[in-house]
This record gives sequence, C-alpha cells and structure tokens, in this order.
Amino acid sequence: MNDDISKLVEAHEADVHRPPAHVVEQWHAAIDEAAALERGRQQQAQPSWHPGSFFWGVAVTAALAIGIGIGYVLSGDNGVQAEAPVIATLEPGVRATPAAFTRGLAVHLRDSRQQIASLDDSTDSTMLLMQIIEQNRRFEVAAKHNNAPKLARVLRAFEPILLQLAAEDIAPESAEALRAQLAFELNVMLTKLANESSDESHTT
Amino acid sequence: MNARLLFILLLLPTVAFAAGHEADENISERDSLKIAALEALMSAPPEKALPLVDKVLAGNHSTEVKERALFILSQIDSDEAQATLLRFAREDNSELQLEAIRMIGIGGDDDTLASLGEVYRSGDSDVKDAVLEAYLIADDSRAIYELAVNADNEEDFSNAVDMLGAMGASAELRELRGQAGVSESLIDAYAVSGDADSLRELAMDGSDPELQKKAIEALGIVGGEDVDSTLVQIYRGADSDDVREAALTGMLISGHDSGVLELYRGATRPAEKRQLLEYLVMMDSDAIYDVIDQTLAEDQ
Repeated sequence: MNDDISKLVEAHEADVHRPPAHVVEQWHAAIDEAAALERGRQQQAQPSWHPGSFFWGVAVTAALAIGIGIGYVLSGDNGVQAEAPVIATLEPGVRATPAAFTRGLAVHLRDSRQQIASLDDSTDSTMLLMQIIEQNRRFEVAAKHNNAPKLARVLRAFEPILLQLAAEDIAPESAEALRAQLAFELNVMLTKLANESSDESHTT
Repeated sequence: MNARLLFILLLLPTVAFAAGHEADENISERDSLKIAALEALMSAPPEKALPLVDKVLAGNHSTEVKERALFILSQIDSDEAQATLLRFAREDNSELQLEAIRMIGIGGDDDTLASLGEVYRSGDSDVKDAVLEAYLIADDSRAIYELAVNADNEEDFSNAVDMLGAMGASAELRELRGQAGVSESLIDAYAVSGDADSLRELAMDGSDPELQKKAIEALGIVGGEDVDSTLVQIYRGADSDDVREAALTGMLISGHDSGVLELYRGATRPAEKRQLLEYLVMMDSDAIYDVIDQTLAEDQ
C-alpha cells in the first residue's frame, strides 16, 4: 500500500517532462493543422508526417482546447450533446466542435494501446510509461471538466496499472498480464467511443 | 444493418458457445477468442450483453476471461450488472474479488460504492487496499474519509490518509485533524496534497516538538516562494537547534539555496556558518564557489 502511494507521489513529482524542441515544433505544426481542419480549410500535409507527432498534436490540441476553458458540453457520460451543439471559439476565426474531445481521447487510447503493446521487457520503458501517465491525466481532467465522469473513472483506473508496469522490479509474466489487461480495456473503451460517435452522427 | 452490428451478431454465438464449454486444449488461443468476443459485446445492447456476460462469469473459464467479463459489466448501466459486481466483491478469497472491487470503482454507482464499506470492514489487507483504490478511481474522497474516521488501527488509518493525500483531498484531511488529531501520516498527506496552510499552522505549534519538526520539513515538499520565505522565517525565529535544523532540511528539500545563502551571509557564529555551508554543498548550489572563495580569502 505504502509502495503504491510512494509510486503515486513519485509519479506526481515526476509530472513535468520537458519535451525536446523538435517535438514541440511538431506539436505546434499539428495544432496548426488541427485548427485549420476545424475551420474546414484544406491544408497541405506536412512534408514529414509521423503517427507519433500526430498523436501529440491531437492530444495537445484537445488538452489546450480544454485548458483554455472552451465550452464543450457533453451530456452525461456518452459524449453526445444534450442540446444544440455548443461551438466555442478557440481564437478569432478558429472554431472547435464538441467532437474534438472524443476524437482526441480516441487517439490517446489508440496510441497508448500501441505504445504499451510495443513495450519491451529488455528496454527501459519507465519514461515512456510516465509520458502515457501524464497524457492520461490530462484526458482524465478533461473528461471531468467535460462532464464525462465515466470516462474519467476509467482513465483514472488505468493509472495504477501503468504505475505497476513502470516498476523496475516487475516480473515479466506480471507485466505481460497487465499489458493484456490494459489492451483489452483500451479496446473496449475505443469500441464504446466509436459507438457513441456513431450514435451521435446518426441522431444529428 | 451496418457492418459492425452484423459482426457483433456473428460473434455473439461464439460468446455463448464459449460460455458453455470448458477449454481443454490450446487454452490461450481459446481465451483470446473469448476475450475478442467479450470486447465485441461492448457494441451490443445491454439487454443482449448482460446475459452473455453473466453466463461467462458462471461458466468454467479462466480467471483472465472472467476478469475481462467483469470490465464489460462495469460499463453496463443496469442494477443487475451492479448486483453481479457486488456479489463477486463480497466473495472472500475468490480470484475475482479484487477485480470486482476495482470494477465497482470504475462503474461509479453510488449505492454499490457505499456497499464497499462493508466489504472493507470484513476484508483482509488486500481487500482493503482494493477498496481504497476503487474509491480513488471513483473520486470518492468522502468515502475514504469515513474509513479513516472509523479506522480501529493505525495502519488502516494511515493507508486511508495516504490515499486522501494522493487524491489532494485537502478538505477531508483538514476535517480529519479535528476528528483524529495530528499524526505523522496526516502531516505526510498534507505535504502530498500540497496543503501549505495546514503545515504552516503545525510548523508554528511547538506543543509536540516531533510533529512540529516533521511539519517544518514537510513544508519543503510543498515548496514554492511563500513556503520558502516561511522556512527562512522559521529558521530565524527558532528557539531550538532542532527547529532550526528542521527548517534547513525543509529548505534542502524545496531546493531553496538562495535562502540558505542569505542565512549564511547573515550568520555570525562559526558553527552556524559551517552548518549552513554544509547545506549549501549538499544542495549543489551555484553560489557555493563564491562562498568558498570568500571564506578562504577571509583567512588570508
């Protein structure tokens, strides 16, 4: 128990990671791209596109969008709007839709699944897991702010498992079991999000 | 009928089949198929999914498959699903008990969460830890507060308080001080939750020197400009070496080397200067070379 708490405390203390400059540039590029997409503009693709940079871009776009308090309104837990869509203004000329949060979360879950699946027992995965945890926390806070407590709870439930995976002394078979568990839960949540997006599009 | 729905309908018999047959060979492949089928259940309407999940839980399947079924249950909004989760959570020493408790946290149903209190009281330390984690997942700090208030031993109290600290539940932690008095675990939790105000109050209270020292040091964990200046003030106003040293330790933890340097420059007693110099060295302060240079020059 105290070990778990210590891990939580360590994770909180290690909460700040300075990304490399080139990654920040990629984020900015991806944010610009996402903003342009939200405006419905056609924009030429970046010359060097990587799934990783796309993940960070979309994730950070979502986190920034939420961070500045734009008024996404999701009803209940299902990501479907209760009333008329609330279109918030990010900045003059840039409009965000409520679906951006759901899309950003889906990308986060998908990339987390991919990164966790690629974890290798022989390599030091602690830093990668800490990055996933950090990102997971952002989306957990975002879900809470977007009145999606069910999503927030599931995201919160991932963290103890991620912390266990990050432990240096974890047995390979335990790590494998935890990875399988996370993969399943991430898949289920992705399916759930896809269903809700589908329901939303059918009702609008 | 869209493609996804068709896919689900095709998979449902697989789940039903899997629910009624024990895997005898190639278990991991069979389990993989069952798990894939369970995943697909997420797309099915609750009234179709629930009986199939129940059947899996009642069948002779591996723990892994049943654990996945519990997760699906946590995502189904129905009283039956909650009742099933609670039934497994109440089954002492069953392989699924801890996972069922976690799923109740994920499900977040108020009544089922409240029922975990009883599971906690009758459970062993693993069960108690799982209940605390479920309340953490459900963001139910009030329930953990109740467990702390009603704890009948130091370990349970301390674990609940630690969890409140990790949740940043300052209001509950402050309330606990009134209910249970000050303790080391409470001070740790104030530090982890970043409650500098409570720690400052305790740091000024000399009625229990040990707890006062711990509170001063814990201020260093919170850190920040206000805390740093408080620590310098505490050092200057200290009426004992212990308090002075606790303030220095607090500055060491918060990394407030400029405060230590300020104190060094103002100190007149050689023993005090030596101690402050030692702290500056430990803190790997950039100013240390100037100080050493100045100190050596004074001797010339």
